[in-house]
Amino acid sequence: MIAFREVVNRALDGPITSEKEFDLKLFVPTARRLAKKYDIKYDPETPVPADDDLADRLWQAGVEFFLEVGVYCPDTERRIAFTPEEVAFALAYDRGPIMFGDGVDRRVFPRRQPEDSTPPWCSLGAGGGAVSSEFHLLSLIREYARNPLCWSITTPSLTHADGQIIIAGSPLEVEGAIRNMVLAREALRQAGRPGLPIVNGVASAAHASSHIAGSGFGIGPTDAMEIGAHHEMRVDFDSMNKVAYTLSRGAQIWAENGVILGGIAGGPATTAIVTAAYNLLDMFVLRGSTQHPFPIHFDLRTTTTRDTLWVRSVSNQAIARHSWLPVANLGYVGAGPMTKMALYETAAWVTAAVVSGGSIEAEGVAKNAHVDHTSPIEPYFASEVAHAVARMDRQEANHLVKALLKQYEGHLADAPVGVRMQDCMDLESGEIIPEFRELYRSTRQEMTEKFGLKFKYPSIYL
Amino acid sequence: MAEKPENETVQKIVEAFKGADFDEVLGLTQQAVDEGLDPGSVLDDGLIVGIREVGEQFRRGEVYLPEMMMAADAWQEAMDLLDLLLGGQKAARKPAGTVVIGTVRGDIHALGKNIVINMLQTEGFEVIDLGVDVPASRFVDEAEKHKADIIALSALMTTTMPQQKEVIEHLYARGDREAYYVMVGGGPTTADWATEIKADVYGETAADAAALAVAYMAEQKGARA
Repeated sequence: MIAFREVVNRALDGPITSEKEFDLKLFVPTARRLAKKYDIKYDPETPVPADDDLADRLWQAGVEFFLEVGVYCPDTERRIAFTPEEVAFALAYDRGPIMFGDGVDRRVFPRRQPEDSTPPWCSLGAGGGAVSSEFHLLSLIREYARNPLCWSITTPSLTHADGQIIIAGSPLEVEGAIRNMVLAREALRQAGRPGLPIVNGVASAAHASSHIAGSGFGIGPTDAMEIGAHHEMRVDFDSMNKVAYTLSRGAQIWAENGVILGGIAGGPATTAIVTAAYNLLDMFVLRGSTQHPFPIHFDLRTTTTRDTLWVRSVSNQAIARHSWLPVANLGYVGAGPMTKMALYETAAWVTAAVVSGGSIEAEGVAKNAHVDHTSPIEPYFASEVAHAVARMDRQEANHLVKALLKQYEGHLADAPVGVRMQDCMDLESGEIIPEFRELYRSTRQEMTEKFGLKFKYPSIYL
Repeated sequence: MAEKPENETVQKIVEAFKGADFDEVLGLTQQAVDEGLDPGSVLDDGLIVGIREVGEQFRRGEVYLPEMMMAADAWQEAMDLLDLLLGGQKAARKPAGTVVIGTVRGDIHALGKNIVINMLQTEGFEVIDLGVDVPASRFVDEAEKHKADIIALSALMTTTMPQQKEVIEHLYARGDREAYYVMVGGGPTTADWATEIKADVYGETAADAAALAVAYMAEQKGARA
């Protein structure tokens, strides 16, 4: 595969293109033409399609899209282009096992196929959701690590340090990122899992400077940095600076991209093409060890709408069947902590992701819009569901997801925000309040009795 | 009763917007003027009705951002033509209001802001897009320069939300707070946050933002009447 330095060189001397030209003359018409050429069509009745040919056509469309459109660098207003030979070589490249973690928590990240019985990787976190104090952050991460199905963690985002609000671009941003990282390591030590890999320890960092500063306090070669592209198919120098640093540190990268359904990527079919194309962007430009996608609805701001579930499923299948770069799906649900709806939504997106060949990172709740509206239960439940559906076939999963959609689909616009973590758990002991424990127990039971899920392990919360 | 030929052309302009045939809009606008139609009528009954229809399609989830962007381009080309035909004077159009919008300092997320811009344009607003990573003082300077009615502030990260407050503090510092209706929005923002920082209103979605801007201008118009 071509070197990262060569990618940077192309950002510096590639063809000059205005952003508008990139979007309206290149991106949009190419995505539309390829959707027609490869007959990529969204079917609301099959949020989890079982059509290998569709997955293969989508992959071809994604590759062609990547080759024709390339990647936009807003700093130089130039397009970074790649050749078919470079893509073919990169895909044939033997990356070898992708491993994270130390000691007893060192594991291989699985490359799963659709309907694969291999257990998915379960990363736990809040999807960058905000917590108001260092104590909240410590408590939450300690609880994530209590879960034996948790194989890596991503930290929530601190809004305050020493009670002072963290403002992006100020020295407080650097301090916030460092504190995020130091506290995450301490929480894992307290939980007795110091080797558990951290795949995003600097969630409060907005810029490369604070990413780099924070990672210096706890990210090593067996951890990862989460580095994202901007919407859509754009990578700026700030992100490339993070890549340059992470590669030099010998750490790994979870390459994040949340294609916005309804944004410049358009509807479900073209959003799926762009999500597949991102697999190559993540390989070439962000130098990912995993692709970390979250196709999200522009208006409802969740990854649990019917159309985004379809995008998730079909793009996972396309990527799993053709690329060595595995997918760690990130999810955002509409409802908040301690609501039944959040658990239904969680079960839906996790099922769509896992039976389609992906692994998961769970999850942002309450659309990640409310400080302290997060809890350890929803991510825990996600990991239970992920293991329960690992060998499910796609038709069965489609029925399950449709049944779950019936429970929540009509409520996404006015999803309940739930409660704050300090109102549903004891921050010192981690004890979940009885009311929440009962809601979780009854919903878990319903999943088995009504929806047929067979959980593999007894719950640590029952 | 059959429509008059000139009205048919205007109707075709509306249909071109509705059917996403945006390349047709400019030619049809020229044709309407060639047929002797009053540019004001071409604007009011054709272009404005057409672009609002695209906004409605977007609200109903029938089209997406690319169609909104292409509609806005077609609208602008047609407006430039009408301006030219009127001898370099601006077509007889009074915008619904003027909005200065941007993503706040430290934040480079543009897409949500761009959707809001397109929604506002379909409602007839003149929109001054300051882009991303915009310093607080620039919002205030540009609002003053363009005699804006509304300042709209986007923030997508918890660590950049405080910059929305910063803009409002700049407005207070200059004694200009009451001169503008300040709207805030973006992923982690909420109605409570808007209240806390003394913004006027929170828009959860792009459609909300446009509707709130329309409602505010209607209220202002009512107050002036």
